[in-house]
Amino acid sequence: MCRLLPFVLALFLVLPVRAQLVVHVDPATLTLEVGQKATLTAGVVDANGVPQDYPVLFFSRNRRAVGVDRRTGELTAFKPGTHTVVAMVRPPDGGRVLAEVTVEVPYPEVEHVSFAGLPARIYEGTRVPVTVEVVDAADALRDDVAVTLYSSDPAVATLDAFHNLTAQHTGMVTLVAEVEGVRAEAALEVVPNPIVRLDLTSTRTEARTGDVVTFTATALDAAGQVVADAPIHYAVLAQPDDDLGPAASGQVAADGRFVAETPGRYTVVATTGTQAAQRTVRITPREVGQRVELVGHGTVGDVHTSDLWVWEGVDGRDYAVTGTWSAHGNAYFWDVTDPANPTIIDTVNVDARTVNDVKVNARGDRCVISREGASNRRNGLVILDCTDPHDVKILSHYDDELTGGVHNVFVYDHYVFAVNNGQRYDIIDIADPKHPHRVGRFELETPGHAIHDVWVEDGIAYSSNWGDGVWMVDVGNGVKGGSPEHPVVIGHYAYPSGWNHAAFPYRSKDTGKFYVIAGDEAFPNEQLYEDAPEIAAGWIHFIDFTDPAHPQEVARYEVPEAGTHNLWVEDDKLYIGYYNGGLRVVDISGDLMGDLYRQGREVARFLSFDRNGFVPNATMVWGPQPFKGNVFFADHYNGLWVVKLVTDKDEKPGT
Amino acid sequence: MNFSHLLRAGLAALLLWVAPSPSAAQDPARAYYAYVAAESEDQVALVRFDGTRAAAVKTIPVGTWPTEIEGPHGVTVSPDGKYWFVSIAHGFPYGRVFKYETGTDEVIGQVEVGLFPATMEISPTTGLLYVVNFNLHGDKVPSTVSVIEPETMTEIARVPHGVMPHGSRISPDGLHHYSVAMMDNELIEIDAATLEVTRRMKTYADHGASMRPTRMPKPTWADPHPLKPFVYVANNGTDEVVEVDLKAWVITRRFATGKAPYNLEVSPDGRRLVVSYKGEGATGVWDLDTGQELARIPNSRKVTHGVAITPDGKYAFVTAEGIGGEPGGVDVMNLETLTRVATADVGKQAGGIYFWKMEDRP
Repeated sequence: MCRLLPFVLALFLVLPVRAQLVVHVDPATLTLEVGQKATLTAGVVDANGVPQDYPVLFFSRNRRAVGVDRRTGELTAFKPGTHTVVAMVRPPDGGRVLAEVTVEVPYPEVEHVSFAGLPARIYEGTRVPVTVEVVDAADALRDDVAVTLYSSDPAVATLDAFHNLTAQHTGMVTLVAEVEGVRAEAALEVVPNPIVRLDLTSTRTEARTGDVVTFTATALDAAGQVVADAPIHYAVLAQPDDDLGPAASGQVAADGRFVAETPGRYTVVATTGTQAAQRTVRITPREVGQRVELVGHGTVGDVHTSDLWVWEGVDGRDYAVTGTWSAHGNAYFWDVTDPANPTIIDTVNVDARTVNDVKVNARGDRCVISREGASNRRNGLVILDCTDPHDVKILSHYDDELTGGVHNVFVYDHYVFAVNNGQRYDIIDIADPKHPHRVGRFELETPGHAIHDVWVEDGIAYSSNWGDGVWMVDVGNGVKGGSPEHPVVIGHYAYPSGWNHAAFPYRSKDTGKFYVIAGDEAFPNEQLYEDAPEIAAGWIHFIDFTDPAHPQEVARYEVPEAGTHNLWVEDDKLYIGYYNGGLRVVDISGDLMGDLYRQGREVARFLSFDRNGFVPNATMVWGPQPFKGNVFFADHYNGLWVVKLVTDKDEKPGT
Repeated sequence: MNFSHLLRAGLAALLLWVAPSPSAAQDPARAYYAYVAAESEDQVALVRFDGTRAAAVKTIPVGTWPTEIEGPHGVTVSPDGKYWFVSIAHGFPYGRVFKYETGTDEVIGQVEVGLFPATMEISPTTGLLYVVNFNLHGDKVPSTVSVIEPETMTEIARVPHGVMPHGSRISPDGLHHYSVAMMDNELIEIDAATLEVTRRMKTYADHGASMRPTRMPKPTWADPHPLKPFVYVANNGTDEVVEVDLKAWVITRRFATGKAPYNLEVSPDGRRLVVSYKGEGATGVWDLDTGQELARIPNSRKVTHGVAITPDGKYAFVTAEGIGGEPGGVDVMNLETLTRVATADVGKQAGGIYFWKMEDRP
């Protein structure tokens, strides 16, 4: 029996000694169970061992794991692990004397071990994975413990190091799982295998890279009847068209869905026991690449550019508005009716350093811009009359409880959704734009929650909440009875990196599936040299929200060595401001699985370099917006761009 | 005592023996250095004043997200001058304190603290760093002072404080931390060793009176006198500075100031009080013996913010935020001639400032 007994480990050491003082801490060794308390006592002596009357301050290097009363030295263990508590004395001549005590807090004892999902019988010759669940005394599911798993009779069933069970021969067998002396047993019967044939079908025999092909294996007995509970395993053999050294270039999921990244022949193999079936599909290049044609560019060379919005004005002409970042508080209004010549026609200046976000209502007569860095620190937002974009007028400022800085806004109907102080979004009625007023608010209750962005479509708000992930909230759709005054959560999904920065809803016409496409923002990379362009990181997450109660992340689009920012979807194309990766356009038609970048789904890329940019000859695409056949986008380094995708079969992606 | 206080106290004693020179001449043989935070630029500048000219000799980008403004607000320097610290106001959602090595300006460590950490200082007695979690833009609920063990950048405690704590300064003996709770209109004293609030008082209270005035003082700063048992508090909302007797724990004097006094600092000899008038774009210099304002010196731009007096007491470095796209400024005020003698441009919204060192020029 291997049982982790509570043990005591204390490390006592004295760091730089001043005035030849020494701090003694008692007990010198210490182990606490979670929730247990103990008290340290400390004494100070000089070099001669004479006690000195100096106050001792106790503190914990991880007070959320082990707390300590600063004066009394009383410890409380909160979390398992190895932690350090410090007793500190400040001698009168300066410096400090420390004694560190290492407190070991063992994990709670394992209390319960069980088999999960194990069938009562399996067929001779088949193989099934065995899952063991371990629960400790704190009722926590533990995956950090070693599980010893064995079969009572290897002649009947064997287990490998990865807990895969192979039924060797008919008969009864007992599986035993042991963790720290806690044991579980399960009886299993290996029965004769009735399967005599395995049929394998696929939805297609020829497909393109990125297309999801579903393989279905059917086990049959001698009477031709389907053996529904036969365990089926899929694998794939790849024969890429070229022999230039590509590695594995396709994948098949446990449910038989297959997708390839490179063209070639792929053979999917289904097995159950001794039966096997194979089926080969031909994968051809996706060939969705389009040429990017530069239509127009308006350089903003004196400051950083932030977000953009493009709209048809009430006069029928086309306009755009762009913000500025860490600058002078300007928002630029452009006439883009001739997209080859974007022209600034008006500038609105507000008391701010950053106008991070700009949005226009559907009618095209109201614009909302956000403020950060106001001189009076009352940031909030500004509502504009953009009926005549040549002469934009400020209608009102709104900063009531929005002083912390509105980083992002969205205008939906006559409501503004304003991300407030990075913690929540407020919903503000601007039906009377000179007298806006708050009608609702949405804020998570998770510890340390934060928010970056919100987007609204069909009465559903999609907020991006960093570590808390994407949240779908009914703000008027009605599916959950929500309204702007009473937002109601529909569903949410978080992923491990905690980088969720933006989100966009997308319903696939081909499959009927509903996705929330979530983008990251991350800068884990060091700059190559001072003043070098930034190197972002992060990718696009495709989250299948068809069942909002059970969202699943199913695919990604990740450009190596670059990072995402804002995104937009139109007509099965995803447009991404991929920061230092430029503008990216991705084909997201059909079912989605795997890494779309590697599947050749990239339609186009454009690196927007401008030698006259605020950062010259570099790209940092902030956000895109397809509009009337063109793609407008803002580059953080150099202003407003207009490009067009051109179908030209002779061109390859990225030209 | 911290580095600045040590120098201030030492030089103050010297100044008692050596009468200050009547000469208003600047001292070109000495160079002064201060770290300055630019809140809307995510930069900290090292500003050097050589007795004649002031300039940002180095700019250090701070924060971790180059496309998000994270708002460096407070700056302090360790008592031994080896490290400087900057509080980064905006996080996800909590702010952080970063530790840098002076000179190389390389990051040494960081620690997450509360919402919108702002002003901070290290006690030379406890060795701990105390940073107020200002929570400027959050709900108006009591916040905390985070206490950091700066060697390893470990947050060891959060001391319950008041609504919008600001103006974190340590007493000359290093035993007490003084700050204000802006929306509670309180001066709060914390025992720097036990990390408990020991006293609090309304900064509108006059000699113990507690009747609420019609205008709230909204105090923004507190600075202890380097030699006497007084603390000076900037009542930003009522255009006054109050002097608090630490023995009696009462307000003993009031100084009617320029508009919206924000930060302040007492000179090392204890004779001068320099106050930034945020709403006036000016800096007030007060004679603490007579209680008279000696001068009201216009700043180079609007929104005056932080004050740091040189250890020799000759100059006050005052930050001016500016508005919109204006660069922030560090105005050097000659405290003898009572004039602005130099200005250094730094990043936008210059705010927190802390003196690093002065050195004799070859």
